[in-house]
Amino acid sequence: MRSLLLFFALLWVTAVSAISTTGDRLLVVLDDVADKATYSKFLGDLESRGFKLSYETPKSESLSLFRLGERAYDHVILFPSRAKGLGPNLTPNVLLQFINANGNILLTLSSASSTPSSVISLLAEIDIQLPADRTGLVVDHFNYDAASAADKHDVLLLPPPSSIRADIKDFFGVGAGANEVLAFPRGVGATLGSGELLTPIVRAPATAYSYNPKEQAEVLDDVFAAGSQLALAAAFQARNSARFALVGSAEMLSDTWFDAEVKTVGGKAAKTYNREFAKRVSGWAFQEIGVLRVNWIEHHLNEVGATNESNPGIYRIKNDVTYTISLSEYSWSTWSAFSVPANDALQLEFSMLSPFHRLPLVLDPAHSNPEAAAYTASFKLPDQHGIFNFKVNYKRPFFTNLEEKNTVSVRHMAHDEWPRSYVISGAWPWIAGIFATVTGWLAFCALWMYSAPTDKKKVIKKTQ
Amino acid sequence: MSAEPLQALANVGKGESTRTLLRVVILFLIAGAAVASRLFSVIRFESIIHEFDPWFNFRATKYLVANGFYSFWDWFDDRTWHPLGRVTGGTLYPGLMVTSGAIYHALRALTIPVDIRNICVLLAPAFSGLTAYATYLLTNEMTPSPSAGLLAAVFMGIAPGYISRSVAGSYDNEAISIFLLVFTFYLWIKALKLGSMLWGALCALFYGYMVASWGGYAFITCLLPLHSFVLICMGRYSTRLYVAYTTWYALGTLASMQIPFVGFLPVKTSEHMPALGIFGFLQLLAFLDYVRSAIPGRQFQTFLWLFAGGTFGIGLAGLVIATSAGVIAPWGGRFYSLWDTSYAKIHIPIIASVSEHQPTAWPAFFFDLNMLIWLFPAGVYLCFQQLADEHVFIVVYALFGSYFAGVMVRLMLTLTPVVCVAAAIAVSNVFDAYLIVKSPSTEDRQVEDVSEAVAKKAKSGLKSTSKPVVGVYSLISKGAVVSAMTVYLLLFVLHCTWVTSNAYSSPSVVLASKLADGSQHIIDDYREAYQWLRQNTKDDAKIMSWWDYGYQIGGMADRPTLVDNNTWNNTHIATVGKAMSSKEEVSYPIMRQHEVDYVLVVFGGLLGYSGDDINKFLWMVRIAEGIWPEEVNERAFFTPRGEYRVDAEASQVMKDSLMYKMSYYNYNNLFPPGQAQDRVRGARLPEVGPTLDVLDEAFTSENWIIRIYKVKDLDNVGRDHAAASAFERGLKKKKVMKKRGPRVLRVD
Amino acid sequence: MAPKHRNNRDVTPSAATSTASPSVSGTAPGATTSAVPVAKPIKAPAAATASSKQDWNSVVTNLINHYQDATPQRTKLIDAFMAFLVVAGALQFLYCVLAGNYPFNAFLSGFSATVGQFVLCASLRIQTTEANKSDFPAVSPERAFADFVVCSLILHFFCVNFIN
Repeated sequence: MRSLLLFFALLWVTAVSAISTTGDRLLVVLDDVADKATYSKFLGDLESRGFKLSYETPKSESLSLFRLGERAYDHVILFPSRAKGLGPNLTPNVLLQFINANGNILLTLSSASSTPSSVISLLAEIDIQLPADRTGLVVDHFNYDAASAADKHDVLLLPPPSSIRADIKDFFGVGAGANEVLAFPRGVGATLGSGELLTPIVRAPATAYSYNPKEQAEVLDDVFAAGSQLALAAAFQARNSARFALVGSAEMLSDTWFDAEVKTVGGKAAKTYNREFAKRVSGWAFQEIGVLRVNWIEHHLNEVGATNESNPGIYRIKNDVTYTISLSEYSWSTWSAFSVPANDALQLEFSMLSPFHRLPLVLDPAHSNPEAAAYTASFKLPDQHGIFNFKVNYKRPFFTNLEEKNTVSVRHMAHDEWPRSYVISGAWPWIAGIFATVTGWLAFCALWMYSAPTDKKKVIKKTQ
Repeated sequence: MSAEPLQALANVGKGESTRTLLRVVILFLIAGAAVASRLFSVIRFESIIHEFDPWFNFRATKYLVANGFYSFWDWFDDRTWHPLGRVTGGTLYPGLMVTSGAIYHALRALTIPVDIRNICVLLAPAFSGLTAYATYLLTNEMTPSPSAGLLAAVFMGIAPGYISRSVAGSYDNEAISIFLLVFTFYLWIKALKLGSMLWGALCALFYGYMVASWGGYAFITCLLPLHSFVLICMGRYSTRLYVAYTTWYALGTLASMQIPFVGFLPVKTSEHMPALGIFGFLQLLAFLDYVRSAIPGRQFQTFLWLFAGGTFGIGLAGLVIATSAGVIAPWGGRFYSLWDTSYAKIHIPIIASVSEHQPTAWPAFFFDLNMLIWLFPAGVYLCFQQLADEHVFIVVYALFGSYFAGVMVRLMLTLTPVVCVAAAIAVSNVFDAYLIVKSPSTEDRQVEDVSEAVAKKAKSGLKSTSKPVVGVYSLISKGAVVSAMTVYLLLFVLHCTWVTSNAYSSPSVVLASKLADGSQHIIDDYREAYQWLRQNTKDDAKIMSWWDYGYQIGGMADRPTLVDNNTWNNTHIATVGKAMSSKEEVSYPIMRQHEVDYVLVVFGGLLGYSGDDINKFLWMVRIAEGIWPEEVNERAFFTPRGEYRVDAEASQVMKDSLMYKMSYYNYNNLFPPGQAQDRVRGARLPEVGPTLDVLDEAFTSENWIIRIYKVKDLDNVGRDHAAASAFERGLKKKKVMKKRGPRVLRVD
Repeated sequence: MAPKHRNNRDVTPSAATSTASPSVSGTAPGATTSAVPVAKPIKAPAAATASSKQDWNSVVTNLINHYQDATPQRTKLIDAFMAFLVVAGALQFLYCVLAGNYPFNAFLSGFSATVGQFVLCASLRIQTTEANKSDFPAVSPERAFADFVVCSLILHFFCVNFIN
């Protein structure tokens, strides 16, 4: 059973040896295909990572995310468009369908043009809000690039992103050098709803705020959002693990800002981190990092003298069982053993309606190898029959959602699995009682038959 | 009907062997008639398992045949009561399945390959033939008249009260239990009459079989002690009674405890305590009787009686104390409802909701027993006149059975045998008096008077034995009475046939209706829907429906269900009731938690099929209210004026309930705008039908009787279902940001 | 029989007064008789309200006389067995009360084996008693014994099956 699973897992690995785990067809949507020169480094990086890029404009007749009901592309990059809508081929419905069909989207915004309404409604569906009137600009009077935006303060210089919580693995800022900053030129900030599917990647500094340069140039009365509520880049992972990344400034992906020299407010010169950041954001969005895979799941009876068959459909109450799950993590073209981040735990639930057990899964070196880590837990089944699930529910920001459910029945004790009476010392007196009754009865019968003739004589005598 | 030629023929062939031969032939004909009249359902429809419970029995039998007895015994059924499962092997009465399994294997051994389904379908008719024979035996114990037994057998064979539960396809516990009931009674009478341990042991063994077959065994458990008690109170204690009763009780109780489902109940529940009490009481009596026989002395005797009475009282008090202290389980709810018919309605809606637990309507007695019901008192009266031990039994049984038949519809079944016996005694008495061709001469009369007088002196028995013999002299009166009786009997046969073919032969899985031209039209929505489930859903797709359909889904669609007709877990049923009667937002988490994949509802509005879920809906509400009184409120489902309506006037809670929405979803589209009509409740539905956010319509059968909905998964991008389906319908989120109130800040 | 008879007569009155078990020992028939007197003293105090003590003593004596005289040997054998069963049953019940009824099925089958056997013996005794002959026209003593054996076998089968 296990080897079979491994075989299929390996087969799968060879089938998708491409750069991304979900495919390499990447669609780049630009207002004008000629604009791709602006992002040549970024797109070149993608191409060099193995993606097959296609370019379309929103208005193009031939643009279609689906072909014959199947996804025509695996990933989409949407660059800002000056149009009010994105046309009939990129309606919010289509984009949502694309996500539901496991397609990944990288969306970029720009403050230079108002955001298309189609994008606004899509974002509204996944609980991301953009500034009113589809226009906004993030400025920060304390963290700007003194070299290029000394007046307008609209090129923000940010420290490389770090993980927002201790238990979340840092995917986006790990490659940053000591003297590198993230430049965020003329971008749009968004606010995120509090859903668990959304995670900010880059949050604005405390002193940043967003305003509408067209209407609020003079007076700023109603701030859309400020400080860390303003997400400059955000990640959204749907339940089916399709990914959607939002980058507030398309410009930060342009060649101009890749490896550019900037000057902080303090006057210090620094290099931009943008190129590495762009690689990492696109890599995350297009399933190159943070992808988890369940290689196999196995559970078996863990009792002495029992045939420990793999994955039986039925157990008995109070059996000892062992559950093992093998996990791999994909990181830039290789699968490696997944190790649970420090401060976090992988847990197994054994549940019927509600969990009866919630146990930590520990690394099982015997079944692990560099490509796959096995986590295991052994426990005694509860004293309750029913249909139970072995459930691993591991949903962490930026990691593929893991929700593995293996259903088993837990039956009651069969009639011959109870301890026999003679095993229970308490029953001995009663066994002796029965034994005494039976022997007494036998003796009685023997005596009775032995005494029969005399008795008969007596009877005859009496009657006479 | 058969008595008349019998008598005539018996007069012709006076030899004993001829009579026996005739009797055997007649009994075989009776058995044939009993079987034949039960085959209407097979002829009208097909060889199919009926109704609800039989589907489970059928499924269990198939499991037994496929997996053998031991795995049947230990069967843990993970396809019902999801996710609790059911310890089926330990919670059913295995007698029925084991019987048909044994028959199946026996036929196999005889190289007769028969489909197990056909055995199951035909088991009830086959046993009805045996029941007729058992009734014959029982009646023969009651009266010396040779015709009474045969008449009783005929009555039993075709009485609708018994046919209602034993037509072909009605593969239920009652199918074999009634035979066992009657036969156990016969053995009991036999044991009592002979005072034989062997008959007592046989009685106990058949009692054990009965316990293995039907929960109604408690009827025997209570009736035999009652009979004994009445006999003792009448001063008819005898050593025969002691032998018969104690042998039966000692062996029968042990036998009943071998059934896993019964287990320790015989020593733990109140239902079984009378039997135990009488058992102890008899020991005392026997001992005292022995002492009394040893020592004469009047004051001693009176003391002994006092002593016995005192012990009985102490025993009773002890029982009461033990019950209140919880050592002995109090009476089960079903038994309370036997004493107080409104008890169940108030306290246990789940029991009250079953139609066969309703009190019997008076016409039902006539419908099920026809003329037997007025012959019955006459027969009981005749028993009173003779009043030997066995006649006391008939009297006690008649009283006991009549009461229970009046309380619960389905206990009509236990009344039927005694009605048949009593009526047969009455009819045979009439025939014995009027079917003698020879008129009694005066000499005869004198001779009889003399013999009567002698008997009187010798016996000095009850008054009734000294009645003068009255002869019938006129042939005209004889002819009139006999022909009237014959006409009655023929009418009875007509009635029985009519009732059987019209009322009791419908499988209820398949419905029949008459078309305008009089031809029969079969409505097969149930099987259509179950077949759809079987072919289009995952093998382990969980189906949520009201419990009525649980067994059928398990049997026909072979899919796991949440609740079924084995209503062992009230909370689980209430959970389903709550899911059905709540708003979608409340129901959805319940369905998710129970891993429901499909929801099945029965809707009769299009066809006018009144047994649908909307009509049962109030029971769901009541049962749910019993567990969650603060979340489900029955009153809220009525209009302010207290009406139960489904049209535009219906209360908002009603309209929001999942059941309502599932029933009427898309129903409007069948009709021109504003014309939607519910034919069961005769209501015009509101113009705009309900919307469903958490369910997708998956299947609707031809006549809309069964509607199946698929439970949606959680929304992929984390919206709630209402928002998601609003988006699907093209309603964009309207400026969520502009909503009033403070914005919710994200914290992380 | 005669001398023993006399002995017993002397012993039993003291047994009734002391309520201790009479120290009748020795041969089997002697032990048999103790079955009835043992039961008596329990009843005797309750009777004190109805009549005087002496009356009861004579009643008890009468009873024993009657038993000694009118009981055939086979019946005494049954009585001995029944007494044994009573003791066995009482011991089992006592153990249940003292030590708890943990394997309840074991207790039930052990106890009901003795009870069942007891009532079967009683039935046999009734059926084989001459005086009851008229009650049982269909049951000869041989038939009664055969019935008894069959019923006992059924009983033992159930008990052994139930004790598991």
